[in-house]
Amino acid sequence: MVRDLRAHRGRLAMTLAAIVLGVAFVVSTWVMSDSTARGVGDTDLRSDVDVVVRSPERGAVLAPADLDRLAELPGVTDADGVLAGRAALVGADGKLVPGPHDRAGTGWDDTGRFALTEGHAPGGPDEVAVHTDTGLSTGDTARVVLGDGREVRATVVGTFTFRTLGLERAPTLAWDADTALALFGRYDRIELTGHDIDVPAEDGWRVDTGAALNDEVRADAEASARSTKESLLAFAAVALLVGGFVIANTFTMLVTQRVRQFALLRAVGATRRQVRRAVLGEAAVLGIAGATIGTALGVGLGLGAVALSQDDATFAVSPLAILAGYAVGVGVTVVAAYGSARRAAAVAPVAALRTDALVPPRRRIRVGLGIALLLAGTAMVAATAGADLDTTSRVVGLAGGVVAWLGVLVLAPELAGVLRPVVRVLGRFGGPAVRLGGRNAVRDPRRTAATSSALLVGLALVCAFATLGETMVSMFGSTVRATVPESTTVLRSASGDEPLATDVLDRVRDTPGVTEAAADRYGFVEVTHAGVTSGTTVSAIEPDAFGTVLNQEVTVGTGDLDAGFVVGSNQAAMLGVGLGDEVTLDFGEETVTRPIVGLHTTTEAQPLFYLDVAAAPEWYRERVTSVYATGPDPAAARAALDAAFADRPDVRVFDREGLIEADMGEFEAVLAVMYAMFGAAVVIAVFGVVNTLALSVLERRREVGVLRAVGASRRLVRRTVRLESLVICGWGGIAGIMVGVLFGAIMQHVMLGRPLFDITVPYQVIGVSLAGMVGVGVLAAVWPARRAAHTDVLSAIASE
Amino acid sequence: MCGTPRPATLIAVTTTTSPAASAVGLTKVYGSGDSRVAALDDVTVDFAAGRFTAIMGPSGSGKSTLMHCVAGLDEPTSGRVWLGDVELSALADDDLTALRRDRVGFVFQAFNLLPTLTAWENITLPLDLAGKRTDQRLADTIVRAVGLGDRLHHRPSQLSGGQQQRVACARAMVTGPDVVFADEPTGALDSRASADLLGLLRRGVDELGQTVVMVTHEPAAAAYADRVLFLADGRLVDALDAPTADRVLDRMKSLERVS
Repeated sequence: MVRDLRAHRGRLAMTLAAIVLGVAFVVSTWVMSDSTARGVGDTDLRSDVDVVVRSPERGAVLAPADLDRLAELPGVTDADGVLAGRAALVGADGKLVPGPHDRAGTGWDDTGRFALTEGHAPGGPDEVAVHTDTGLSTGDTARVVLGDGREVRATVVGTFTFRTLGLERAPTLAWDADTALALFGRYDRIELTGHDIDVPAEDGWRVDTGAALNDEVRADAEASARSTKESLLAFAAVALLVGGFVIANTFTMLVTQRVRQFALLRAVGATRRQVRRAVLGEAAVLGIAGATIGTALGVGLGLGAVALSQDDATFAVSPLAILAGYAVGVGVTVVAAYGSARRAAAVAPVAALRTDALVPPRRRIRVGLGIALLLAGTAMVAATAGADLDTTSRVVGLAGGVVAWLGVLVLAPELAGVLRPVVRVLGRFGGPAVRLGGRNAVRDPRRTAATSSALLVGLALVCAFATLGETMVSMFGSTVRATVPESTTVLRSASGDEPLATDVLDRVRDTPGVTEAAADRYGFVEVTHAGVTSGTTVSAIEPDAFGTVLNQEVTVGTGDLDAGFVVGSNQAAMLGVGLGDEVTLDFGEETVTRPIVGLHTTTEAQPLFYLDVAAAPEWYRERVTSVYATGPDPAAARAALDAAFADRPDVRVFDREGLIEADMGEFEAVLAVMYAMFGAAVVIAVFGVVNTLALSVLERRREVGVLRAVGASRRLVRRTVRLESLVICGWGGIAGIMVGVLFGAIMQHVMLGRPLFDITVPYQVIGVSLAGMVGVGVLAAVWPARRAAHTDVLSAIASE
Repeated sequence: MCGTPRPATLIAVTTTTSPAASAVGLTKVYGSGDSRVAALDDVTVDFAAGRFTAIMGPSGSGKSTLMHCVAGLDEPTSGRVWLGDVELSALADDDLTALRRDRVGFVFQAFNLLPTLTAWENITLPLDLAGKRTDQRLADTIVRAVGLGDRLHHRPSQLSGGQQQRVACARAMVTGPDVVFADEPTGALDSRASADLLGLLRRGVDELGQTVVMVTHEPAAAAYADRVLFLADGRLVDALDAPTADRVLDRMKSLERVS
């Protein structure tokens, strides 16, 4: 049987490619995440700090007096106060240096944190050193906007690289210690070195050993590498699933071609078991070969990616990664071939004597199973189609979508039957190539379906996420339009989600022409009700914002924030709470417990909890994420605000549409990455199309010979194959898009809690997908069509 | 062997009209060195227009090779072939393809038809490929002659072997080609279906004025022809006009005795 494999070398190449790509995806993911985790573990962490003393609350509260006191403690040989404050660095060109502003400024010291790469350490109020990543160099003039909005100017006198301690980010710039202390006032942390240091508990400070903080870094790196790995492995799983379709289809075709051989084996005394094991043996050999190449390729790709992304890369190839590669490669191949092996074993010995021997079909079971899955899935989706879903019904709804999708895949050969009339109509109007190619494509709907199923899965995922994404985009847009009046001007930090400088709200209020201003303090907190805790989002806001600078419709109860929370109705349904119920929000150090006074029908692009800012913890009140403002003449107010913040690159002033646009840019970048990941699955599916076409062309050698003999040109033969390819790809594409959009509708319903069919159809992605399918169809046909066109007429006709 | 006079010159045929196809000094060699086999050895032959010619000979005599070379399906090692006034050796693949489509018809031993096309679509395929409209009168005549009746729009798999071969035959004649080449067309048929098919070819010659060249090893089939050419060891060795099955059989027997 292994000899058979060798005989089918050409046609197995594509199958092998499918296995190789899937395995390589898994292994490279593994290698990459292992190396990243190890790499972070090995970076230059400072190991010379014994004890770190910090405030239990947010912000810097340790005073110089505290530093002196701690320095006196027995065993302490050295005590250093570390300063950290908000600092937005503006380059000489007036452009903001990208990156977070929070804790970006610090004071120079000789603890070994800094390593000068150029120039010298800052020596006075007019001098700063900047991190090499800022792109600034010595001699440049730097403007810095501090946390309270004050602006400081200084000359860059040095550049540095930075060694971190614990989970801190490298600062952007450093003044000399005295200047920094004068600017920030308090220490963020105090680092102690020495032996047997025992910090008294009286002040309630947080005391950690340096080693513990560094362990946190390693744990964090491992956790993030693991979560990256898990999400990448999910994409790899899709690629493998698609690869499984390709493999299953190849084995179906290989078994069909060898029916008489199996029958002969059975006739001379082979048991069903032996036949089955022979086929599975082939699959295993193929799987091992694919896994070997795929693992090697995956290790190479993974290490290459690590080498490209890190300066001093650490390479880690764990035995587990290689084991996973083999397990996945062999496992997927054998599982995919199992159905074919069973059918091969079911061939009756008498088939050896017949020329028209067929593999026993299993159609009935298939159709029954498919319909059952489809109905069950649809029922599950229908049952959870209502609004205000709790967690269980969301899971049921999504599972229903998956089940219905499986049903479509199982029914695919039957569904491909709809191609027959389409092909008939095409044939009536098209030339002979259209007629022949089209009919060849529907000749064996099962094969066409199996081939296009791989495409269907890949494309459906792309379209599902496109639908989800597009719906989210338009939902976000419509949410913003519904809640932010056109007349409102919005101010946000230029550094992403970070809070604004603390002076912004007051400056807005003081701007001439602005009569109404409110601030939103948006964040993630934990909500607890009846002992169950989950994550949620909260916006602490001035109660009078509603109806002036914001429109928030309250559907049930009141919008009276003084009395309690206003909660999204979806969120309330998920928590199982209603009006009057008390819930607790956990802000980390403090909790806020209030009753629910109102429900709003919000989308999940909005804060789920609204809270009176007066009830929020004090430190949270300072964390202003957006400022909303307007005046009697909204346009004048906006112009005034634009002017007032013209010299503040750390603040961005938006009108409503600008806000929507800015937020969607990032989101669409994330979607693009996702499409690329599913693209790998589509590539594998293309190999499947090439495979099927090549096999079909081979099987139809005699037909091609006759066609050539009666006067078909090579070009016509090529066109025939290309058309067959286009029909297969077109079918996979259209079915994929339909399934994808429907699944996307279900996804957005269960994830965003919106009505089932209130979706935005991603026409752009659909258009690109369709065009892509045409491209894929043409491309996949190139090689098989060439082979067909160069069929030797005489030997093709002579061959039995 | 070298001393014997060339058989072709012995039985040279002169026809009043110009031949539909002809070959001069046609040689086809397979292999080289010790394994060198001459399938055709300097064959010169004319196929008269409007007549039914059968080529016979023991297996391996080169009769199929002769037909393939004259039909433009195979390339001779040396020698020249004309179809009408076109010399084949000068043609590139595309021109050869067009020539096969427009001026030659084929009937093979079996599997002549494309399984995805109906009988009617198979018949009109060459016209379809050429982008020509079907000559309805010719088509009607042919379809009547094929005698498929209501099975005309069935797929080949729903037709009997004899019906399939008749469809192939109709396809070969539908373009009104210079020559219809038939390679053992009755090889897979029973005697009844064979008779139907040969009758169809005969009518093509008699009623439509077509030229038919048929390779066969059955004397009964050859008896439908106007003339039978005998091949042995790649050479044309004999010819017989107005053959009957018995006379063909006799010649064949004597040929086999000689070789």
